[in-house]
Amino acid sequence: MIFHPLKTDYAGRGAPMFRLALKTGLLTVLTLGFYRFWMKTRMRRYYWSAIRPGGQPLEFTGTATEMLTGFLTAVVFLAFYIGIVNLLLMFFSFSLFAGQAPAYVVSFVGLVPLIFFAQYRARRYIFARTRWRGIRFGLEPGVKGFVWRSILWWSATVLTAGLLFPAQVWSLEKYRTDRTWYGDAQFAQGGDWKSLFGAMKHVYLGAAIAGGGAAAEYFLEDEIWLVAIAMGAVWTALGWAYWKAHRFKRLTEQKTVAGAGFRCTPRPGKLVGIYLGGSLAISGILFALLFVFGIAVGVLFGVVDEDVLEAGMDITDLAQLPAWMGLVAGIFGYFTVFLFWGVLKEVFITMPIARHFAETTEIVNGEGLSAVRQRDRDDFVEAEGFADALPLGDGI
Amino acid sequence: MSTAPDNTLSGFGDYFDGARARVQRVAVTVFPDKVMFEPAEGKPVIWRADELRALPDQADRTGIVLYRAGDKLARLAVPDETIAGALRANAPQLTRRPPVENKGRIAGWALGAVASVALIIFVLVPIMANQLATRLPPDGEKALGDATYEQIRTALSEGDFVPLETCEAPDGLAALDAMIARLDPGDDLPYPLEVSVLDHPMANAFALPGGRVVLFRGLIEEASGPDEVAAVLAHEIGHVVNRDPTRDALRLAGSVGVLGLLFGDFAGGTVVLVLANQLINAKYSQAAESGADEYAHALLTDAGLPPSALGTFFERIRAEHGDAEGITAHFSSHPQMTARIEAALAADAGRTAEMVPSLNRSQWRAFSRVCGGAEGSGEDSAHEKAPASAQHWQDGDES
Repeated sequence: MIFHPLKTDYAGRGAPMFRLALKTGLLTVLTLGFYRFWMKTRMRRYYWSAIRPGGQPLEFTGTATEMLTGFLTAVVFLAFYIGIVNLLLMFFSFSLFAGQAPAYVVSFVGLVPLIFFAQYRARRYIFARTRWRGIRFGLEPGVKGFVWRSILWWSATVLTAGLLFPAQVWSLEKYRTDRTWYGDAQFAQGGDWKSLFGAMKHVYLGAAIAGGGAAAEYFLEDEIWLVAIAMGAVWTALGWAYWKAHRFKRLTEQKTVAGAGFRCTPRPGKLVGIYLGGSLAISGILFALLFVFGIAVGVLFGVVDEDVLEAGMDITDLAQLPAWMGLVAGIFGYFTVFLFWGVLKEVFITMPIARHFAETTEIVNGEGLSAVRQRDRDDFVEAEGFADALPLGDGI
Repeated sequence: MSTAPDNTLSGFGDYFDGARARVQRVAVTVFPDKVMFEPAEGKPVIWRADELRALPDQADRTGIVLYRAGDKLARLAVPDETIAGALRANAPQLTRRPPVENKGRIAGWALGAVASVALIIFVLVPIMANQLATRLPPDGEKALGDATYEQIRTALSEGDFVPLETCEAPDGLAALDAMIARLDPGDDLPYPLEVSVLDHPMANAFALPGGRVVLFRGLIEEASGPDEVAAVLAHEIGHVVNRDPTRDALRLAGSVGVLGLLFGDFAGGTVVLVLANQLINAKYSQAAESGADEYAHALLTDAGLPPSALGTFFERIRAEHGDAEGITAHFSSHPQMTARIEAALAADAGRTAEMVPSLNRSQWRAFSRVCGGAEGSGEDSAHEKAPASAQHWQDGDES
């Protein structure tokens, strides 16, 4: 019997995502950030359920209270580090070097292992709370090995000016994938450390063109070489989209679980299109929003002072508004832009990217998956508290 | 899907038993009070309508994913819109959330977090800041003050991240130097006093580590004469000598990160801003204020200036603006202030006439225009305008 590949449907839509992101984002702003755990949980539920390999949605089963507890756990430890240790570092930095730069450097270096720690633990939490066809994923404990490998690989990456970056990505991904489970089936990451260099070729090429152009410009002092620098920069940027698409393709296609494999066909051009189109849409809408906001302020002002409506609006009239009104309008405007920026980014960038990767990925030879059995619940108190408390970017 | 005569709907769904990853295509029948389906093996499964729960925040809006209250694993996905609609109509508690588990543990960690943050911010950091402030070498203190100064100037600028302008009209600065020379703290400070004027309307002044004192334009405008500014300056010098700002800056260094941690990147920037503001309007302890007052008293007396100016100035601002205005709030924490003013006034009564003001008239006029702005206040500027200097200031305005 020939087993057909399981294609992935994507059920996410712009309008519902917009409503969900706006509602939860607004609540987060109004609660001074306290609601963010609920926001994150609800957004994840949506994003997970949108991805439907073989027509069956993923399910995110994490809870907001769990994330809140994890965050509080992290705060207890981190408050000590950030408060006491940073104060001491600051003192010694100013005492010995008469400046704060050494304190920042040491403080950051001290945080680096903690960041890797947080990354691994966050992934463990997310996998433990992800299900497909009712079966849990899981990531084995193994954070120590991940931290020292990350430190070594990142040092190597920095020392080689980024040349070894693809090897680092593959190696750290292998460490995690080989410890990842779907039910009682263990994932395996194939390939070797050289696997990802091809995906990086356009970034190397673009950087080489820009670097060569810069060198030529410096030594020959001919402005024509500025064109080469610009070309190289654009090439690198486009090459980064190529890297993202092909990194995903290579890493995923080399993964196997329960006899099943994957086939991926993401297109770098599509990613570039999403970024460009999305950025245009976001800036267009934000400008329109600011324009409407300006008119609203004008109308408000008109309500306050009827003479103005008769005399017509003039920008200098704004100066006559009571100071508190300007402050309120400023705060309101700031949070509106802050809020809509986040919401529109989900709708026009994050979701279309997720859609593209999902729709271009299929499971091959999936007949063994039906036999996979459930695994025990990973009761993980700390959740992703450290990743939450440390600024690790917006990665979902 | 078909509608049977007895008020039921039937169709199909995908059942996941939570034990294996197989998809079980099942026939689903929806009754008004229950839903029934038959997995390939085993008996028919019946879920009562009031036990039915739907997974929330699902991307697929046509179908529905059901589970039974209390069952964490088994799921029934029904893709058909009509059946999903019937289920939504029949199941009264479809959207009810599962009860929050581990309430005790959450409360415990919450308490622990609050306690540890409070312990760090209110106990450990202040104690350490107190101990370390006097041990910081002069160079380090100066560097700390410079760094804080830049942060405050940026925080005070209105949002555009260009640091607030300092006032640098040469004649005004020369007058300021004359005033500082009168108030020389001498060996009390291991570094030279560095006084600057910020172009800001707030009637305020503050001290920073490393001998830095900052006056706001608003304070100079508010003062009725040079001696009042000199008195404020002496008070701030008192804080510098006692290392109060160093303590505060170290405490800030310890607290900012912790508060940023609590609020997340959401409002981290705002927290820094608020704390910087806190530093400007620093409410030092009463002991620190008394210490600075005492020092100012002695310094002013040594310089042959009336210490009472300090009291009269704050009293007047308080009368005009109320307690909320920066500096009055700052100084109104002194219960002994009124007594001190009276004592100082009494002490001065006989001597004021002989005292030489900290700046002469033309110096004061120059100083009150150090920001290049409008006329200074005070009786001197009301008459006797030197044409040359007026010309000078018009030029300044245009540039």
